[in-house]
Amino acid sequence: MKIEVYAILKDYFDKQFVVKEQIEDVNTLKEYLSKQKPDAKDILRSCRFAVDDEFVSDTYQLKENDSISIIPPSSGG
Amino acid sequence: MTASASSLQAAEVSEYISSEPLDIAGLLSKSHHPLAGAVVLFSGDVRDNNLGKQVDYLEYEAKESMAAKMIHEILEEAKERWKLNIAVAQHRTGKVSVGECAVVVITATPHRREAYEANRYIIDRIKHEVPIWKCEYFTDGTKKWGGNCNCHDITGDPNKHLYESDAPRPPKGGV
Repeated sequence: MKIEVYAILKDYFDKQFVVKEQIEDVNTLKEYLSKQKPDAKDILRSCRFAVDDEFVSDTYQLKENDSISIIPPSSGG
Repeated sequence: MTASASSLQAAEVSEYISSEPLDIAGLLSKSHHPLAGAVVLFSGDVRDNNLGKQVDYLEYEAKESMAAKMIHEILEEAKERWKLNIAVAQHRTGKVSVGECAVVVITATPHRREAYEANRYIIDRIKHEVPIWKCEYFTDGTKKWGGNCNCHDITGDPNKHLYESDAPRPPKGGV
């Protein structure tokens, strides 16, 4: 699956990267990424996840070809 | 969740998200309506200080397709709810200097109460929910990613927000 990150997450991850492991759902992906970058754990916890420009829940079942966006808390305005 | 909202074209994205300075006067001049006796314009400008530090400039990043779609939906919803004659919102991306406008919201209604209420509702939701982020660059050379929405610290849920205005939010659908 393809992952794209934004804003502060770019300080921890590449803007875009691929995860080849089989990961079941958003919750598991959060844990997986938190293990890779422990410093980003708190930020990941506060993030929303989106697939195809729609927010998905923590229990969303990930598919192999999903493009996932990881959205930190908004700070527009 | 309208069909048109799910497929915004590039031209429509630029209606809501702009990498160029926002043309506030131009947008305002197009926001008059024969039925509207009240036009409210909110301009979110860049301050020269935050957290006790001197701000040099801000840099805004957006997940543009999603941000534009969400702003579109927020405006449609506000229009319906307050019977707005006009609802406009545009947010900057890229470098925005002190004193420049980062976001503009314009609402026009027959009477001022609805225009003020709807305007505040729209800016609240843009700040809290729409995937747009600011990075503050300070004059001392440091930077910090914003910043406004730390609601999850209190609500424990990234999808639950606390708003300044009292207008009740629509129920969260789908997610």
